[in-house]
Amino acid sequence: MEDFLAGSLALFGNGHTFMLFLAALLGGMLFGAIPGVNMLTLGAVILPFTISMQPEHAIMVFAVIYCSGVFGGAITAILFNIPGAPENAPTCFDGYPMTQQGRAGKAIGAAVAFSALGGILSAILMMVATHPIAEWAITAFGPPEIFALIVFGLSVTASLGAKTLWKGWLSIFIGLLLATIGTDPVGGISRFSAWTIFGEPVTSQYATYYLSAGIHFIPVILGFFAIAEVLTQAQNIAEGKRERPKASVQFPSFAEFWQVRITALRSTLLGIFAGILPGIGATLAAFLGYAQAVKWSKHPEEFGKGKLEGVVASETANNAATGAAMIPLLALGLPGGALTAMMLGVFQIHGMDPGPLILINSKDLVWITFAAMFWANVAILFLGWLQTKTVVHILRIPFRWLVPAIFLLAVVGAYALRNSLTDVWVMLIAGIAGYFLRKTGYSPAGIVLGLILGKIGESAFAKSMQLFSYSAAEFLNRPLAWIMILIAFVTLVSSIVGELRKKA
Amino acid sequence: MTPFHTTLPRSTRMGAPRSALHSVKKALATGAVVALVAIFFAPTFVSVGSAQDLKKPANFPTRPLTMIVPYGAGGGSDQVARAMAKAMSRVADIKFQVVNKPGGGGTAAIPDFMLAPPDGYTVLEHIDNAVSAYAKGDIKENPAKDWIPLCTTQITFSQVYARNDDSRFPNWNAVVDQAKQNPGELTIANVGKVGSMEVILMYQMENALGIKFKQISFDKPAERYGALLGKQVDLLFEQPGDVRSFLDAKKMRPLLTFLDERPSAFANTPTHREAGAKFKPLMRFRGFYVKKGVPKDRVTFLQNTCKAAFSEKSYAAFNRKKYMHLIDSFRDRAGSVKLIKNSVKIYRKVFKELGI
Repeated sequence: MEDFLAGSLALFGNGHTFMLFLAALLGGMLFGAIPGVNMLTLGAVILPFTISMQPEHAIMVFAVIYCSGVFGGAITAILFNIPGAPENAPTCFDGYPMTQQGRAGKAIGAAVAFSALGGILSAILMMVATHPIAEWAITAFGPPEIFALIVFGLSVTASLGAKTLWKGWLSIFIGLLLATIGTDPVGGISRFSAWTIFGEPVTSQYATYYLSAGIHFIPVILGFFAIAEVLTQAQNIAEGKRERPKASVQFPSFAEFWQVRITALRSTLLGIFAGILPGIGATLAAFLGYAQAVKWSKHPEEFGKGKLEGVVASETANNAATGAAMIPLLALGLPGGALTAMMLGVFQIHGMDPGPLILINSKDLVWITFAAMFWANVAILFLGWLQTKTVVHILRIPFRWLVPAIFLLAVVGAYALRNSLTDVWVMLIAGIAGYFLRKTGYSPAGIVLGLILGKIGESAFAKSMQLFSYSAAEFLNRPLAWIMILIAFVTLVSSIVGELRKKA
Repeated sequence: MTPFHTTLPRSTRMGAPRSALHSVKKALATGAVVALVAIFFAPTFVSVGSAQDLKKPANFPTRPLTMIVPYGAGGGSDQVARAMAKAMSRVADIKFQVVNKPGGGGTAAIPDFMLAPPDGYTVLEHIDNAVSAYAKGDIKENPAKDWIPLCTTQITFSQVYARNDDSRFPNWNAVVDQAKQNPGELTIANVGKVGSMEVILMYQMENALGIKFKQISFDKPAERYGALLGKQVDLLFEQPGDVRSFLDAKKMRPLLTFLDERPSAFANTPTHREAGAKFKPLMRFRGFYVKKGVPKDRVTFLQNTCKAAFSEKSYAAFNRKKYMHLIDSFRDRAGSVKLIKNSVKIYRKVFKELGI
């Protein structure tokens, strides 16, 4: 507690520090909220500037961007069906229908309040138990357990956002297939990188280089959501079907909050759990949170049609994962995702290495980061409330004016990922594909989930098999792993039975 | 993305307010959001740059140079590139815009580099992976021929590590004993890319001692450290600069050094030669390149700048932190070519033995 107060004092006692805190907070929110760019883009932009900052400022700025960036992505998900980042994708399922029903204010209000709640709870956990949790996570979760968790995650989220269970699974499989393009995680062998037609090579050397780097999920997500949404709306406008959603600024009532308390708690726990596992992170957290909310609900059929609980489930979980993801980074120096990897770089640029010693050697720095993350989430609550009252008015802008902006930002976002024009082409192709996938009842969110988890899952599976000397039966010696795979199997079978019964 | 300071002509760099204003102007063009960030960050950035000029060729450079980094922001390569860019701008008053282009084990950045005109404005940072990829035929460009090495500024050796509290391995001999008793059972976390320096070195070691490990291929460095600390694997193959924090924190302990003689900081760790292996160990090295065809005077200028930057205070401190002071970590152009050619020879020989 003393440390926390000292960290908070350092944060607010110094004008310069506080200004940076606010700048990072707003920057993260803006970059998170604008489709096309995200917190990673912002991180890459400011990385050179952090070199000349004081180390505690540099780290604090990144930590705050992390918190506010994950929240920011919910806004466009709710207003336009365009998630700011993959972890906001499940927020679309219910958030966007709410907007169409003229309840955008409530959806954003819930996203704000529960993002903050999830974030605050995980920040508290981070403060009290960073070290033991980090040690537990890497000891209990080896490659076999990570693989099992991903199988489990895919099995419980397969039907989300698709018309039928089959289309849900097909979506996931398309994602998994896309994930196999590029160098394999074990031998670095290129796959699907050089194509031939009748024995003649059709891919140039440069195309081969691009494909061996793999299809990145950022252009795909921009295409599937931003571009496909623009196309869908364009069709609606052309057919005279589009009604501009009402811009309501009504905040959810306390009673509405109270109703979803269990869901919020469940999502917090799931978010924290997914966050502390290296490499899993916020995306699976959000999907799991949403899927479990559907599963335990008394009215699962209401999900996907504008249920407040759906927004709560997804947004609580993804923000809870942020604080938790700092745990392996700070305690062990192990980054779990792209932004935490960048933070590791920031530490090292300043001649420091996160890890067991940092909690002792650079206690001030760690606590200013903890305090900043805590207060960033508190600030989200306040700023988000203000934002609810204002940002909803974007809906008043005629869609034909928004389209060029969304289009431009999507192009910039795809290009900025790794300065590659090919990524922009991939995005445009994904956009057209996404339009038809949606029309036909497949789940773009499922494809993105398959693409993201496919890479992690394949890598974990390959490592497991090497550890097991290529004998899959060895999974039985890892109780946690086979229990999760068993649950995944049971879930799969029961969902198939359910689907068949529905038809009968 | 544009680091705003780099685009300032020298004459306008007079004070914080003006350069901030300039930054904001530039930023407005790229978007109001970026401008907001710039307002807060630009004033902290004015101090970079100094007077000590090297002899510049006529009309070069008239704009900032681009440095392509084939790996992600914040990683080992990115850090070297940024540290070097900073040091080079200090010694010669040239500015760099660092561009990360990760993917494909470092190959995704090569097309951009090859498409850039040979005018000296595009510098590529790359590591020995480019050399092994060329030797294996994964890339067509020969780093010693199709590219001009300006200098190599990091050269380091590899080691084998165990958890510090792992009583099974008090020393390297204990590892060998265990490996002999249970061939192929001891697990070692490594980078798995076929033909990479890491894989080749372990293969040579196993061959020399007649032992066999179970090598577990990882794609991300941090996962390897987690796997060792979390007891998922028995041993770890890595370079000391990358695991320094774990060594300092007494979480990991080196058992073997792949180097001809013991370096001072690891005086108690036996070398692979002492352990009974005879081969010349491959090294991890990171250097800077321009394309073939860049005018001679520009190459000479950049080479000299690189050399001066290597001894510059901030860069020296950076390299020290990464254990790069233990062995001679600098090669000029000729030295780099020699290093690359030798490495290609070793790689090709081992690839042949391995049938790659």
